Amino acid sequence: MVDVSQHELVPEHTVLEEETLEEVLTEYDIDRTDLPKIKRNDPALPDDAAVGNVIKIVRDSRTTDQAVVYRLVVE
Amino acid sequence: MTEVEYDVDDDTIAVVEDTDLPRRLKNEVYEELETRPDATVEDADELAKAVETRYVDTRVDPLDPVGTVSAQSIGEPGTQLTMNTFHYAGVAEIDVTQGLPRLIELVDARKTPDTPMMTVHLEDEYATERERAHEVVWNIEATKILALGDVSTNVADMRVQISLNRDTLEERMITPEEVAEIIEDELGVSTVQQGTEIQFGPEEPSYRDLLQLVEELRDITFKGIEDISRVVIRREEMDDGSEEFVLYTEGSAFGDVLEIEGVDASRTTCNNIHEIHRNLGIEAAREAIIEETNNTLAEQGLDDVNVRHLMLVADIMTNNGEIESIGRHGISGSKDSVLARAAFEVTVNHLLNAAIHGEVDTLQGVTENVIVGKPIKLGTGDVDLRMGSIDSSSESQAD
Repeated sequence: MVDVSQHELVPEHTVLEEETLEEVLTEYDIDRTDLPKIKRNDPALPDDAAVGNVIKIVRDSRTTDQAVVYRLVVE
Repeated sequence: MTEVEYDVDDDTIAVVEDTDLPRRLKNEVYEELETRPDATVEDADELAKAVETRYVDTRVDPLDPVGTVSAQSIGEPGTQLTMNTFHYAGVAEIDVTQGLPRLIELVDARKTPDTPMMTVHLEDEYATERERAHEVVWNIEATKILALGDVSTNVADMRVQISLNRDTLEERMITPEEVAEIIEDELGVSTVQQGTEIQFGPEEPSYRDLLQLVEELRDITFKGIEDISRVVIRREEMDDGSEEFVLYTEGSAFGDVLEIEGVDASRTTCNNIHEIHRNLGIEAAREAIIEETNNTLAEQGLDDVNVRHLMLVADIMTNNGEIESIGRHGISGSKDSVLARAAFEVTVNHLLNAAIHGEVDTLQGVTENVIVGKPIKLGTGDVDLRMGSIDSSSESQAD
């Protein structure tokens, strides 16, 4: 199987710790379900991610150096 | 403290790092300061503050209708796109849909593009030696019987005769035995193979069956990937000045190609955003949408469309974890408001269904409020103004 994370189109995906997640949600003043979603069967998802986890994605941005976004894992 | 690789003193770094600027702009400030060695810390501070003011000024204001602005900013140059479906891609004589049809195809999120294609990068010696690169080509390009030899029908004996070309077989790394075996598997007939000659025929002598067999024989893929009809090999200069072979394919099978030996699975791409989504995930699909829309516009000399508009489109299309089209079946059709959906397309159906299900419209969006004649909740429309002075004791009752 090909290692998807090596592809240049795929940014770094990591599972976000619950404590850090709380900080993020308070900072943006949103609920976890307001975040963009990522499917559970997404090929780029880390192996230890489960439904309900929030994934931290660090993109190489076109407009700034790096952009951090979050996606909620859904069915 | 972030690393600064510019030749400026620590105080200057401190004042620049203190601003709200993004990294890229900070670096530009450093570059500017480098060219002025006699600038004092005060000058640096003044420069950084001026850049910061301008930066903060150009940021989107709260309640700005960014979607509408994006729509206009892509729509206006869109009127200048070609309506021609086909055009040379510029690289490698492969026809690719361009201009308006391609843009529509992307935002509609069509399952397969009109002209699927892949750009296949190779790794190590496959990228530098023509011989090795060709090995990969034969593993990708679909090889049909007519490429391997001549087919003739002997009506008298009711036999199909194939005489294979030995050189072609060797080049494409396939043996006559393999060819015979594939024919037996695919057509369910027994073959007689002698050297490069292969013969077979229908069980019962029948002219129709014979022709039928020849038809089916032509469709068999003996080697390579069925969906890929043609591969063009090109020698290209890379960013670092080195040269390597790059393959362009007509037709695409992204997942299959990534598995082939010699293919660089980290740089190979295709123009089908759904294939990218399936194999690389939603984030890669988002990147691909931005890249493809941007290239489509740039190809037509319209690259002055700010990439942020395209990023917004890609963000919305990939928001729920899979690719959604913009339009009736996608984003616009899934709006919460009944009135907004009804105003877009198939008005009666939406109103009827809403009535049956007892839907409530909370009048949050733009369209609904235009319909009922209320100010829209955007820009100054969402701000309440009140005149007078606030008495601290009555403040709690004022609202």
